[in-house]
Amino acid sequence: MEKNDALGFIETYGLVSVLEAADAMCKASDVELIGYENVASGLISVVIRGDVGAVKTAVEAGVKAAGKVGAIYSSNVIARPHEDVAKIIARYFLDW
Amino acid sequence: MEYFGEEALGLVETRGMVPAIQAADVMCKTADVVLVSYENVGSGLVTVMVKGDVAAVRSAVEQGAAAAAAIGEMTAAHVMPRPVSRVGKIVSQHDIDAG
Repeated sequence: MEKNDALGFIETYGLVSVLEAADAMCKASDVELIGYENVASGLISVVIRGDVGAVKTAVEAGVKAAGKVGAIYSSNVIARPHEDVAKIIARYFLDW
Repeated sequence: MEYFGEEALGLVETRGMVPAIQAADVMCKTADVVLVSYENVGSGLVTVMVKGDVAAVRSAVEQGAAAAAAIGEMTAAHVMPRPVSRVGKIVSQHDIDAG
């Protein structure tokens, strides 16, 4: 993970809404989809990274779009993740 | 970060990974603690563990739990001031650096 990257997360119930969230986020601003996790019990998350402003815009757009399709559980933006958090994100890093 | 039970252990468990990662981030930033473990326990529960001095861990868990509860469901938060070494053995099974 690059040093100045902010992280954005959206967690929803079900695959349909999480895919919509991922699509909306990547289209809304200059962010990169970096990870995905099926947390279990219907909870699924996607992780994006980019500049803080871009990530904030993307998460907002993602929440709005996914909210129309299904239920959103949680969303978050971490402006400057702690280096230990990068270890967690590395687990979900998708090699495209 | 490996853990052998000689330091205080702090745990925060949430429903979903987003609040858990937020808790981990806040805990590491709020006090002098190190992330020991991150585990998807199953059934949607995700646990993060930190280690450090008792006071640091207590402060970290307090802040981390509050941050997690603000964006999701926080199911459990706990501070173990001095776990027995065999508890440390269990924790090291979930070492974040072990891959």
